[in-house]
Amino acid sequence: MRVTRVGGIVLVLMLASCGAVKPAPPGEYPQTGSAQAGPAAGTPVAPAVTPLSPPSPPPPTVATQGPIAAVASAERPTAPSMPAPASQAAAKAGAPATKAPTKVPAALAPAAQQPKKDVIAQATQKAAPPLDLTSLETRLKETEAIGVMTKIALKNQVDDLLDQFRAFYAGKLKTTLAELRRPYDLLVLKVLSLLQDSDPSLAAAIVASREAIWGILSDPVKFAKFAST
Amino acid sequence: MSRRVTVCALMTWMAAFFSAPSLAADDAATRKDLTAVIALHGLPCGEVVSVKTQGDNDHIATCKDGNRYHVFLNSAGRVVAEKQ
Repeated sequence: MRVTRVGGIVLVLMLASCGAVKPAPPGEYPQTGSAQAGPAAGTPVAPAVTPLSPPSPPPPTVATQGPIAAVASAERPTAPSMPAPASQAAAKAGAPATKAPTKVPAALAPAAQQPKKDVIAQATQKAAPPLDLTSLETRLKETEAIGVMTKIALKNQVDDLLDQFRAFYAGKLKTTLAELRRPYDLLVLKVLSLLQDSDPSLAAAIVASREAIWGILSDPVKFAKFAST
Repeated sequence: MSRRVTVCALMTWMAAFFSAPSLAADDAATRKDLTAVIALHGLPCGEVVSVKTQGDNDHIATCKDGNRYHVFLNSAGRVVAEKQ
């Protein structure tokens, strides 16, 4: 009788444990990530330099990219300031309810979306906060999206890049700013790829600050001030 | 006496049962961390499938593709990934 009771308890515990630990499916993060990375997260996603009438990229292409959309948008600093809304629309594109707008004639759709895009671009430009490197640094240090070893490795690479800039401005490194832009972009992409799934708001903040940071790095006076602090 | 033994065994089993997921979570976090480190160094790996911790910030990572790396923090404060 006692054995039956103990057996019953063990069985209940085993059944309970089946439902306890259930990791989220990998496909779940990118959708929420791209959704949170948008203006809804409260941080502007638009790069600092944003044209008023950007070329509209084909939404279906972005739609299929999922988590890469944020990185892809980061690759194009002068691209339209709509990476997150585009990815949001992309995320919803699979839903039957949102398939209806795609039936609108192609000639009408861009015309209808253009003013809306301009309004959002202007709004994000107005709402763009000033670059706060200290805040970004703190958030990067405190985020749980990146492991300790990865954070140290990233810091090593940031230091290496800063050394390259120092050598460049000291005339010790024979290269151009355009060539230094490449490792900078690569490093930003590495950080974004690490953050976009687990900390999309920080990823969005970095995307928003990307051009401003480059503005500091590419200006010898600003860089000297930054390096001295 | 036998009731005491049964209760003790049940408690031990429950402790092991409920602590296992947290250990697994730690292990998963380390694997993810080392996967990112190896990728940051541009080394082929794919995904770290097992980790042998040798000390603080000192691990041997085995990758899905069979590669093994010694990932550690050297005295200069740099994270190093050495192919084994």
